[in-house]
Amino acid sequence: MSQVLRIQDVHRIYENEAGITHVLHGVNLSVERGELLVIMGPSGSGKSTLMNIMGCLDRPTLGTYTLEGIDVSELSDDDLAFIRSTRIGFVFQSFNLLPRATVLRNVTLPLIYARTPKAERVERAIEALTMVGVPVDLFDHRSNQLSGGQMQRVAIARAIVNDPALILADEPTGNLDSATSDMVMATFSHLRDQNKTVVLITHDPEVAEWADRVIYIRDGILLTAEQEEAYVKSRDGQARGRT
Amino acid sequence: MKFSDLMYETWSALESNRGRSALTILGIVIGIAAVIAMTSLIGGIRQSIVDELGLNQARLIYINCWTDRELTFEDLDRLQANVPGYDYVTGAGYGYASVSSDTKQAEAQITAVKPIYFEATGTKMLQGRPFSEAEERSGAMVVVLDQASLRTLFDDPEAQVVGKTLRIGNDSYTIIGVSESIGMMWGDTVLLYAPFSVNASRISGSESISNIIGFATEGEDLDDVVRRTENYLASYFNMTEQQKEESIYVYSMKSLTDELDSTMMSFSILMTAIASISLLVGGIGIMNMMLTNVTERIREIGLRKALGAKNSDITRQFLLESVFLCLAGGVIGIIFGYLGALAFSGLATNLAQTVQVRPVIDVSTVVIAASICVGIGILFGFGPARRAAKLDPVESLQYQ
Repeated sequence: MSQVLRIQDVHRIYENEAGITHVLHGVNLSVERGELLVIMGPSGSGKSTLMNIMGCLDRPTLGTYTLEGIDVSELSDDDLAFIRSTRIGFVFQSFNLLPRATVLRNVTLPLIYARTPKAERVERAIEALTMVGVPVDLFDHRSNQLSGGQMQRVAIARAIVNDPALILADEPTGNLDSATSDMVMATFSHLRDQNKTVVLITHDPEVAEWADRVIYIRDGILLTAEQEEAYVKSRDGQARGRT
Repeated sequence: MKFSDLMYETWSALESNRGRSALTILGIVIGIAAVIAMTSLIGGIRQSIVDELGLNQARLIYINCWTDRELTFEDLDRLQANVPGYDYVTGAGYGYASVSSDTKQAEAQITAVKPIYFEATGTKMLQGRPFSEAEERSGAMVVVLDQASLRTLFDDPEAQVVGKTLRIGNDSYTIIGVSESIGMMWGDTVLLYAPFSVNASRISGSESISNIIGFATEGEDLDDVVRRTENYLASYFNMTEQQKEESIYVYSMKSLTDELDSTMMSFSILMTAIASISLLVGGIGIMNMMLTNVTERIREIGLRKALGAKNSDITRQFLLESVFLCLAGGVIGIIFGYLGALAFSGLATNLAQTVQVRPVIDVSTVVIAASICVGIGILFGFGPARRAAKLDPVESLQYQ
């Protein structure tokens, strides 16, 4: 297995009118190709910030982020946009499909920004939709005519259509029932089996069971499963002591 | 992002907001319709005046020279021979006589001319033909009637009269043509053309010329020809500088059309300034809608950026939406403006009866109107487009 991404001593500090917020504290992480990694953590722990940096939507304040051997921390906005359109696929909790566009149009969107030739776009979109199990008769439907599960499958197809190095999914099952969640996770698992790299954020321990590796994040610091267990035990012990 | 994709995205976005888009472009439609209606009407009025006065003969030079003796064709031949720049110089004499058809009698003003006069003044023949050089030289008893005279002499403005006979004094003349109306007619006075030689020998007995016109050679600087003519006439009649100032007045039809254009242009500018207020209001409406659009589509902008849209892609998409809206408003405005001008000119023609105004719309006006629309789209769309492009993708994706 080769390394897809490497994050070294990354800090993310926000400065605004409310003051300075230090969200990530020297995060170190590497992800291998074909790995399904789950990041878990409570709200406000910094997992979305980490995801945004991995997705080249945000930059680290300090530290380096290397994607497929390229240090993306210093790239221009346009270069980051190009990387997003060609090397990264996003899946969001709320699907984020263009409601009035057809399924096919939604899936081809990253290819449009990557300036892929028109004929090739449609071919690749159909391939991606087929791979995630969207029926052919839905291709020309508007995305607002689909069920939640169908929408998330279309969103996954959109995320893989550009054959990305990294698929990032932020609470992809957050808006789905258990059966549909299992179906979506089975799709991610299938993608992992095809050597795609998936990094997934979730609160749901059942989702974490699908992962090759689970890491935890608390107050902007990454924890291993053992560290997380120790933290929880210590916190529970303190709580019992107070009562 | 390719331009064809940009067009598709623009069309999809506008199409999903049809009602609002249609209402937003109303200001542009009204503004452009007003500009087009006014410019095409002004153009139509100008054309109508030019047609009425015969100003379309731009190379025509009108020569007035008041001396102690009357001018003759011999003087005109010398003028043409000595002043370079003329294809020909000719003139008209006038006579008055009683004229009668089989049923009617009237007073007539006779314009005595040589055949070249018809060509010089661009007189259009509605029936028959003007008289020929041979007829003029031989003193043929032929005349050309003015159309407005048909009603007086034949009770019918559309009467077919070529070949019929008119009596002027004691002589009979054959009508060989009917020209379009050559000017205002007072009462029942008949206007007609007769060969100069015939007028001199049989009607008025005068060989004097009171209306001299020259036809400049193609490509000649008309102002130079005018100046040379004035200098020649002053020298020919041994005039002092002061006499020249007082007695010689030469001008080209082009100078008259230039003056007319200048007046019409001032009027056009005034009207366009008024119409541009509507365009300004329309532009502000477009800007308002685009700002609302950006706010409503913040999540979409965030998504597009997440999927690889550059800032320039977002700017171009919103700018194109704005330009497209303005251009659509412009095209509709051009159509409505022209239709409005047609309706107004029809009304004006019905009211005025004698003058027909047809709106004139040229390609340059349409191109300018379309360019103004594109300009308004860019001017008022750029701010919202830049605002959209500068949105932070992370914050945009979290926007509720």
